[in-house]
Amino acid sequence: MTRESFKTDAFILRCLNYSESDLIVTFYSSEFGKLRGIAKGAKRSKKRFANVFEPFSLTKIIFSRHRPDALAFIEACEIIDHYPDIRTDLEKTLVASYFADLTDNFSPEGKVNIKVFELLQNFLLLLGKEKATEATLRFFELRLLKVTGFEPALDHCAQCKIPLTNGNAYYFYPREGGIKCFACARPERYEEPLSAGAVRTLLLGKTMDLDKIKTVSLSGALAAECREMLVSFITHLLGKEIKSMKVMEQIRRMGLP
Amino acid sequence: MKAYAQPIKRLISELSKLPGIGEKTATRLANHILKAQDEDVRKLAESIIDVKKKIKLCRTCLNLTEADVCHICHDKSRDQGIICVVEEPDAMAAIEESGGYHGTYHVLHGALAPLDGVGPENLHLNELMKRINGGGIKEVIIATNPDVHGEATALLIIKMLKGKNIKVTRIATGVPMGGDLKYVDKMTLSKSLEFRRGM
Ligand SMILES: [Zn+2]
Ligand SMILES: [Zn+2]
Repeated sequence: MTRESFKTDAFILRCLNYSESDLIVTFYSSEFGKLRGIAKGAKRSKKRFANVFEPFSLTKIIFSRHRPDALAFIEACEIIDHYPDIRTDLEKTLVASYFADLTDNFSPEGKVNIKVFELLQNFLLLLGKEKATEATLRFFELRLLKVTGFEPALDHCAQCKIPLTNGNAYYFYPREGGIKCFACARPERYEEPLSAGAVRTLLLGKTMDLDKIKTVSLSGALAAECREMLVSFITHLLGKEIKSMKVMEQIRRMGLP
Repeated sequence: MKAYAQPIKRLISELSKLPGIGEKTATRLANHILKAQDEDVRKLAESIIDVKKKIKLCRTCLNLTEADVCHICHDKSRDQGIICVVEEPDAMAAIEESGGYHGTYHVLHGALAPLDGVGPENLHLNELMKRINGGGIKEVIIATNPDVHGEATALLIIKMLKGKNIKVTRIATGVPMGGDLKYVDKMTLSKSLEFRRGM
């Protein structure tokens, strides 16, 4: 039986050692969404797959499969972009890994979503050119949530519906996926508020032009508020912590130059 | 496999857990063991148990060893002031076989792999820093694999060594990007060590 072969551009999200010589690779492709495939002999053969399976690389793959939900058989894979500017910078490598990790976690297999592909492509290009900032991280998270249908409601109080008002304090509720004003939230003392300023920054970051992101300085308390809000939301949605985020934090705690 | 008696099935199933061994090969091995001399089979079984019991990590470099300190760290004819940092013992073995290196090693037993949750705390970096802070080290050669994980690990170590007044070098290219040191031929490997570049 001959199987039909397909060709697509795809980001490598994750590689798993399957045996001494084979890899199972998770891709995010432009035409088939997330797909998993086996690359026979990938760890040894220098001819067929010349060291192409590396996290967050953009590749062109040819694959075949019995059914749309079956593990794909990777017939060929060639590199379009290895992102050398990212790979030679530790912080950027960590951020790009996190992008791949999040994309994997928020993408069901086989669901085509060109916006996810484009988001990853745009942010990896940006990361190659500009410094990896807190804003880059947060705005990627926010946009990924948006294109995968988990956009948090940030422009008004989830309960009284009054629009975001400058100077007010808000509280974010992961379960409800939105913010509440002080009056509606009636927060406990231990609950950390989210300033209107932080919410505004996030709202801006959702649609802001990519080349403007470098001008956003997200630091100090504002950065911490945004981070806490998005990370707690993502953790809630996935029901687990993101591994690459934990590694990124471990390294940040080392306080290296 | 159905046709076989239970003890043989068990052996086949245990053997197929080994890397690169499928059920077919496992069955062939099991049949071979079945026909072999009792003495040979006992030696094989003992050597498997032995390796787990006797092999530990070198106190200094974390190489696999039978003693507290491995033969390389023990060898005074080797340059104890140079540390070559590798991911796995098999990379170290490959460099040893290439023959051109006469310093010591440090085995991390892994590389940074953010997507798999492998961070600095999972590698033997503290032991490396302790060695370096102990003095007497003049050069650290980073020989992690030239793939994303190995590169990130190298970048991390370079940052950790900043300001320590130690020469830090990275093995030269020639080792293909995305490659694994243990599959690199001896010639390339010995050249890449010789032509290491400063960081
Ligand atoms: Zn309200
Ligand atoms: Zn040793």
